[in-house]
Amino acid sequence: MDQPSPFAIWYSAAHHQVDIKANAQSPTVNHESGDPDHQGVKQLTDTLEGAGYLADRGLATALFIALELGRPLLLEGEVGVGKTELAKALSEIFDCHLIRLQCYEGIDTHQALYEWDYARQMLHVRALSGDQVQDTDAVNRLFSADFLLERPLLEAVRAGNQCVLLIDEIDRADDEFEAFLLELLSDFQVTIPEVGTIQAESPPIVILTSNRTRELHDALKRRCLYHWIDYPTVDQEIAIVKVRSPDVPEMLARKVVTAVNHLRKRDLTKPPGIAETLDWVAALAVVGSTDLDAQSARDTLGSVIKDRDDLTDVFSDIDTVVSHA
Amino acid sequence: MHDGAPVVKLLVHFGRELRNEGLPIGSDEINNFCNAVAVLDPGDVDDLYWSGRATLIARRDHISIYDRVFRRFFLSERETESDEKSPPPSPTTTHAVLQIPDSEIEAKSGSDEEESALGLVASDAEIARDKSFAACTPEELVALRRIMARIRLTPPMRRSRRRCTDGARSRPDMRRMARETMRMQYEPPTLFWTGRKLRVRPLVFILDVSGSMSDYSRNLLQFAYSSKRAAARVEVFCFGTRLTRITTALDLSRLDDALADATQLVSDWDGGTQIGQSIREFVQHWGRRGVSRGAIVVICSDGHDRGDPSVLAEALEQLSRLSHRVVWMNPHKGDGKIFHPNTLGMTVATRYVDSVVSCHSLRSLEDFAARLPEFR
Repeated sequence: MDQPSPFAIWYSAAHHQVDIKANAQSPTVNHESGDPDHQGVKQLTDTLEGAGYLADRGLATALFIALELGRPLLLEGEVGVGKTELAKALSEIFDCHLIRLQCYEGIDTHQALYEWDYARQMLHVRALSGDQVQDTDAVNRLFSADFLLERPLLEAVRAGNQCVLLIDEIDRADDEFEAFLLELLSDFQVTIPEVGTIQAESPPIVILTSNRTRELHDALKRRCLYHWIDYPTVDQEIAIVKVRSPDVPEMLARKVVTAVNHLRKRDLTKPPGIAETLDWVAALAVVGSTDLDAQSARDTLGSVIKDRDDLTDVFSDIDTVVSHA
Repeated sequence: MHDGAPVVKLLVHFGRELRNEGLPIGSDEINNFCNAVAVLDPGDVDDLYWSGRATLIARRDHISIYDRVFRRFFLSERETESDEKSPPPSPTTTHAVLQIPDSEIEAKSGSDEEESALGLVASDAEIARDKSFAACTPEELVALRRIMARIRLTPPMRRSRRRCTDGARSRPDMRRMARETMRMQYEPPTLFWTGRKLRVRPLVFILDVSGSMSDYSRNLLQFAYSSKRAAARVEVFCFGTRLTRITTALDLSRLDDALADATQLVSDWDGGTQIGQSIREFVQHWGRRGVSRGAIVVICSDGHDRGDPSVLAEALEQLSRLSHRVVWMNPHKGDGKIFHPNTLGMTVATRYVDSVVSCHSLRSLEDFAARLPEFR
């Protein structure tokens, strides 16, 4: 392709000049310095920062599009990179209710969508006298809102845009469950046979997270926007530490973050996420150390490394870990 | 969008470009992409890049392809290195070694004549059933493989968290009782129960295809193929010096194609053995991600390991913690009930595996298939 693409011509005429080759990881974005040019994305990034959540350009853009288009956002990424935290931050900045559906194996409609209160229905039936049984109204009442137990998804549909719905760790649910979500994610409605279809007046903000222990079904992914959250760069992570634990001195934050970054490069069963970095900083504060040396690292290693094999491996080599810091 | 049509055209072209690279992109995705760009600034490459990534990509593996096409399409960058493409696994010269069993078509196209011919071969195979694969003639092997294709594996079941009506009666089924009470004109309810559903455990094969196993590995591969078609969730890996996942290759419906594809993927056919290293690779890249969780892991190898035994021990220890049962198939175990480990690898392995079974003949594989449901 010797000819420049039509877009390249069009683009070069536009007023932006972005250093295109700056970042090898993603071809266009310089994570560290790249300030979003788009007003909306920039505003969103700033607002999130105000709530203590530092989003990079990619995440902020994906989120902005999801919000603008009213689509669910599926977040995948390593453990502890802040997937769940994002939903919490959103509920904070929009000042609305967070409805969380934690997925687990065997979860079904009755735990996620709705359930009839069978015991009350039966008691009610027993209490009806012979004449009342003939009364259609009395019977219809058995399937009225009084007897319907709201579960998170129905609650979210009823709340509409007054809530943030977090469907957490969807990969833990068995694949049959994904099918239950399809109607909700595409049309923000749920169907209860006895009642009919309940549609959200305005779409709620929906965040789905997955740790990718299994690949999700394409039908589910098609209904969502997708973003893969990577580990942040060292500077970004230091910034996160400073936002989350403002009392920590810059030096210590830098040391801890560099040490954690070194640990991520090692071949560990469970590489530490940002959550672990924050835990480590907190643990160091608890034992009162202001510096990360071999001794204090050893004492608090349990807050970063949570696997026995990893622990023995790192323990014996703690000096290397600390010296990197 | 400000100047409408030309931009849309461009975006659609980009979408098609990605589709040509094999990404599953429908018009719905492209529509989303256009909408996303419309709410952002189409003149900003950053916005363009990230809006495409959020709307067109649904898998982490596709990101690198997306990056490449994006550079080429929007930034007019020439593709510098050809290996940047995720290359289709390069066919290796060794694949000719695989003796592909006779086409199944022959056996399937059922004229009477052919059926009787098959019967004849089958009776030959009957005699060879107890014979070690190593001692079989090529004709006998072909016949044995046809029979092997019919072995149906039933992996053991486990209780799932899902409930069903006719289970082990552990909890009253309120839903059904309420419904029944209303249906029966408000009679006092009959008791109904629910119990846990049963689910099939996954099965993971890790096959040794190194030189020392050459008499057996092709048969085992075929066995893995027929297992894959018989049981619900089967993963198949091959190793010599390094681990290769061949599950997707075995999905092909024709046996010959499947085996040919699988062999192409494996680059270290008939080479040396690094069992410890390979098992470790499995644990790191697959086991930890949950592939072997609750599964029956079947390792087929003779235990001739050129690597460090401590690596093998460590890897097996981790594997045994990540999976439900670990079964070691060793062709040298023979028919005897008692097995004395004859290689260093086996000596190490017996500490960590739940069972050592034989796999040298058709009979032993059939025995394994029969015993499989017991590993619960």
